[in-house]
Amino acid sequence: MTSDTGTIRFILNDRSVALDDVGATTTLLDHLRLARRLTGTKEGCAEGDCGACTVLVGRLAGDELVYEGVNACIRFVGSLHATHVVTVEHLAAKDGALHPVQQAMVDYHGSQCGFCTPGFVMSLYGLWLSKDRPGRADIEKALQGNLCRCTGYEPIVRAAEAVAEARPDAVFDPILAMRARVKTELKAMKTGATIAVGEGRRLVVPGTVEALAEVLDSHPQATIVAGSTDVGLWVTKQMREIAPVVFINGLDALQTIEETPEGVTLGAGVSYSAAYPLLSRLYPAFGRLIDRIGGDQVRNMGTIGGNVANGSPIGDTPPALIALGATLTLRSKKGSRSLPLQNFFIQYGRQDRQPGEFVESLFIPALAPDAHFSVYKISKRRDEDISALCGAFHLRLDADGKVKTLSIAFGGMAGTPKRASQTEAAMIGRLWTEETVALGQAALAKDFQPLTDWRASAAYRNLAAANLLTRFYLETRGEGCELTRFEGAA
Amino acid sequence: MLTNERRQVGRAMPRIDAPLKVTGRAAYAAEHSEPDMLHGAAVSATIARGRILEIDSRAAKAAFPGIAAIYTHENRPNAAWLDRSWQDETAPPGHTYRPLQNDRVLFDGQPVAFVVADSFENARDAAAMITVRYEVETPETDLTTKLAERYVPPKKRSGISPPPDPRGQPEEAFKEAHFRISGDYLIENEHHNPMELFATTVLYGADGVLAIHDKTQGSQNVQKFVCNVFSLSQDKVNVINAYVGGAFGSGLRPRHQLFFAVMASLDLKRSVKFEIARSDMFYLSYRPAMYQTVSLGADAQGRLTAVLHDTVQVTSRYEDYQEVVVNWSGLAYRCDNVALTYALTKLDAATPGDMRAPGAASGLFALESAMDELSYEVGIDPLELRRRNFVHFDQNENKQLTSKALRACYREGAARFGWERRQAKPRSMHEGHELIGWGMATGIWEAQLQSAKARVRMSANGQVIVQAAASDIGTGTYTILAQIAAEALDVPAEDVSVQIGQSDLPETSVEGGSWTAASSGSAVDAACLAIRQRLLDMAQKDDASPLKDATVEEVVIRDGHLRLDTDPRAGVAISELMARAGETAIEEEGKAGPDAKQMKSFASYTHSAVFVEVRVDEELGLARVTRVVSAVAAGRILNPKTARSQILGGVVMGLGMALHEESMIDHRSGRIMNHNLAEYHVPAHADIQDIDVHFVQEFDDKASPIGVKGLGEIGVCGVAAAVANAIFHATGKRIRHLPITIDKILGETVGKAA
Repeated sequence: MTSDTGTIRFILNDRSVALDDVGATTTLLDHLRLARRLTGTKEGCAEGDCGACTVLVGRLAGDELVYEGVNACIRFVGSLHATHVVTVEHLAAKDGALHPVQQAMVDYHGSQCGFCTPGFVMSLYGLWLSKDRPGRADIEKALQGNLCRCTGYEPIVRAAEAVAEARPDAVFDPILAMRARVKTELKAMKTGATIAVGEGRRLVVPGTVEALAEVLDSHPQATIVAGSTDVGLWVTKQMREIAPVVFINGLDALQTIEETPEGVTLGAGVSYSAAYPLLSRLYPAFGRLIDRIGGDQVRNMGTIGGNVANGSPIGDTPPALIALGATLTLRSKKGSRSLPLQNFFIQYGRQDRQPGEFVESLFIPALAPDAHFSVYKISKRRDEDISALCGAFHLRLDADGKVKTLSIAFGGMAGTPKRASQTEAAMIGRLWTEETVALGQAALAKDFQPLTDWRASAAYRNLAAANLLTRFYLETRGEGCELTRFEGAA
Repeated sequence: MLTNERRQVGRAMPRIDAPLKVTGRAAYAAEHSEPDMLHGAAVSATIARGRILEIDSRAAKAAFPGIAAIYTHENRPNAAWLDRSWQDETAPPGHTYRPLQNDRVLFDGQPVAFVVADSFENARDAAAMITVRYEVETPETDLTTKLAERYVPPKKRSGISPPPDPRGQPEEAFKEAHFRISGDYLIENEHHNPMELFATTVLYGADGVLAIHDKTQGSQNVQKFVCNVFSLSQDKVNVINAYVGGAFGSGLRPRHQLFFAVMASLDLKRSVKFEIARSDMFYLSYRPAMYQTVSLGADAQGRLTAVLHDTVQVTSRYEDYQEVVVNWSGLAYRCDNVALTYALTKLDAATPGDMRAPGAASGLFALESAMDELSYEVGIDPLELRRRNFVHFDQNENKQLTSKALRACYREGAARFGWERRQAKPRSMHEGHELIGWGMATGIWEAQLQSAKARVRMSANGQVIVQAAASDIGTGTYTILAQIAAEALDVPAEDVSVQIGQSDLPETSVEGGSWTAASSGSAVDAACLAIRQRLLDMAQKDDASPLKDATVEEVVIRDGHLRLDTDPRAGVAISELMARAGETAIEEEGKAGPDAKQMKSFASYTHSAVFVEVRVDEELGLARVTRVVSAVAAGRILNPKTARSQILGGVVMGLGMALHEESMIDHRSGRIMNHNLAEYHVPAHADIQDIDVHFVQEFDDKASPIGVKGLGEIGVCGVAAAVANAIFHATGKRIRHLPITIDKILGETVGKAA
């Protein structure tokens, strides 16, 4: 193991930053606004909902330099080692000339009170960097994580479309201008050494997976932070003391994505955004689900490993992963072990993770060519909302049209993401018909006694779960019922 | 009226403050700093009703040596005693809430202690360590259990008309009506949730003068409040609100962060900043929950013969907050038998506040839902029902209308929407898995004018400065005032610099009620007229001047010259006039305000027709609004860009009201459960699809001197009803309880395999 250092280093706009006294849970937003007086980045909610604090964070992915929009309010400074943070102050040229995305926001009236504007500008700038000619769907997706209370959104979309249509060939672009320098500097920062800051190692950035196992062995009570899209709120909303904190987002070994004929292995640190291309190709319904997890900022930070390890009963991915038969690999200094994901969730707030263990990877079996797989997220607000319930269905029929295998899992229906075993049992071996579906619906009550809460009533959950089963049946019968968006007037 | 063929007014000019906003350089209330300033953080009550027994801050003090002060009700510095000193210009009658006044807890989230420390983190973390012991009393927060304790507010709120007396024989007429419908409507609390958090920065000057950057819709309202509460003279208090990150009514009244920051600054003689958290925004103010009953009677042709509208609305224990909810039902349509009643009931909650189209947004939901229901009863198209009941008169006030181009809204809105293709029968339109519903509603809002002053300075070189204490809360005030001055003085709008948002500028009321454009715009126009008069006076000192016999109406400013309107060749250069008079610039003030004489016989309203398409996935209870057409009659449109945005934003807030927005209260504890943007759903981008905003031609020379009626509220009016009506048309379910969430739509629908 390389020897420890005690300094977090990153680039902020055009300046190098070295921090050796940063707090374990200091957020990037507070650092920008209070310590740096960069007040262009706004606080609207301090919990990753509104996007007013959107900044870009550039990181090395292999030899590539990738910039992603993130919510500065729930991003910890400790997780920024070897990155390039770009704020709205960096966007306009030194002579004051506006960047094309800024000019379009002016021209198309995308800014009214202006408070959400820098966040929107940075989301649009993130899109500008990632796509030359984004279409409407790309724009929609890029703006998903930004709330505005004045404009009604449409002027902002028009601004984005105008930039997409008339993208100038040559323009001053702050990131392009310093790309080579940034790459060199980030490479130099990424030494593979473990960084520990503060007395008693309150903030640790392990340089390798082995170092991570070592740290957790000596600090089993430490909080492992990957994307901080949930842990961030423990700090900003619940004022929870979570130190020591171990940041794993910089570990390349946890960022691996491997595809074999048997399935896909995702490292625990793979973000939703990074997993998206492969998952949406192999399991299209899964891709559509990811489209509805937060906004780009959350998808860029949040990891599927974290979503699983967190154990929430309303996490978005566990129902789909359970229905697909995913297995989880946990690792510690003592070694590794694997278990079916459905066994990982023991009860509300409790998972099968032993002290010193961390989630290393997740294996998702490939879909059989004749398999039907669907997952439905139901929420009160279509985007940027937590599931009221989420149901995943995975079916194979035999040559006679009987149910050969069926796995159904629900989130939001119990204290954990849970398999509908009784429902499955009522249907397996029977002809895949309306009558069988009715038997399954009747059995749902044996599997689930959901709660009434502010997202939905128990009655709603029971009904909607039964109706989802119907919907899945109809889909397998070839009736399209995917919600479509933006078709023209009737 | 403004007339100039080289139009600045009416031009779709981009916002002049936008470049500052897209670069992050526009500084909001919390973004002013000086070295070594202090930061505040509040401790919020965790009960909704009771008494504070003990506040223990020993641990906090021990842990944070940087604490400058901890204020509680036991050590709060003195402030004004009389209620009237605490009542700002928008306050309702009652005993204004005074922070840290005594040991009583009146509402969930009430601040019970205020920590001031050397850094934001220290203040926040110290506040989190303070423990409070309470004597908890059982709170009453459920409106539906308090309907019987209704009362008519004994003192009316200034500016809010109580319901008119009943006219005709409403009860009898209803009983005898050919068609009758009656329904109860419930609306939950809604919160403004502007994107900017409430914040105040007080910069303590060496001379003891306070420069207060506050999130407010009225710098002078705040200035007067601070002076009254802390017994300061106006020259010691300057309030600045140059940029306001949205408010929607929440910034009308001074909020507690202002009180705390000023109190601490005066006490410690230091600069203090206090920004509240998003969760605390939910305790400040809200559109009040209300229970409404509307009964409509009609003859065989669907002509209204009886309108009865009753409302019981939530208020706090300590103030009688009032809005105009039911009056709209007496003036929207022709009807000679009308009974309108409006009562309050007290809950253990903070006082509600004005939220975009206060009263109208709520009242029209009930009225326009009822009109829709009546149309099915009568068996005619909902739009046709409204046409049959059209009235060009205000029967409540017995006044003529300054204008009402609502028929054009109906006609042009329906055409743009394609309303004639609507199939009348509910559940008759569908596509794929979704039921399609088309609904509509009428919107109304009062067009008001408030007293306003403005100062305009024109330099010999054509540079113009406009000054007023007006606010721009995202509405476009900066831009339209520049346009008005530019047009009147015939200079490029780029040469006009607008200085607003400061209490030492010419007097202006709070920005609210959609009156700023009409009021401040007219004041700027009046100041420009005064400049023209001054120039004419200067010109007429020369006996040989071609303008010698002209009146001010006969001259215009063109290309830096004062010219005869009828003969533009006859004129004199402004620079020459000023040079002759030895001036480099001239400055005049203008005034605008309601015309009392005209108001005796005329009433003025803006109108709209809103058409909505919803698609409902009935098995899951998911509704989405796929199309909206909002056709608006609002007099003169100063800037199509800012105007359109006002309507767009209003419509989207209406969609939120219809489908998403409510505070969810645990009535056992009286506490708000969803006090964050994750669980309180404002519309997100995916909720918005195709919104078509259309302004119909409407000429009005009485609503305001510049022909403007105002646009801030009309966009939201009627939207919630139009959505509910569309959902009825799609599903056959009449949902009278907002918001219309997934479980209300799903009801008992069990999916069956087809």
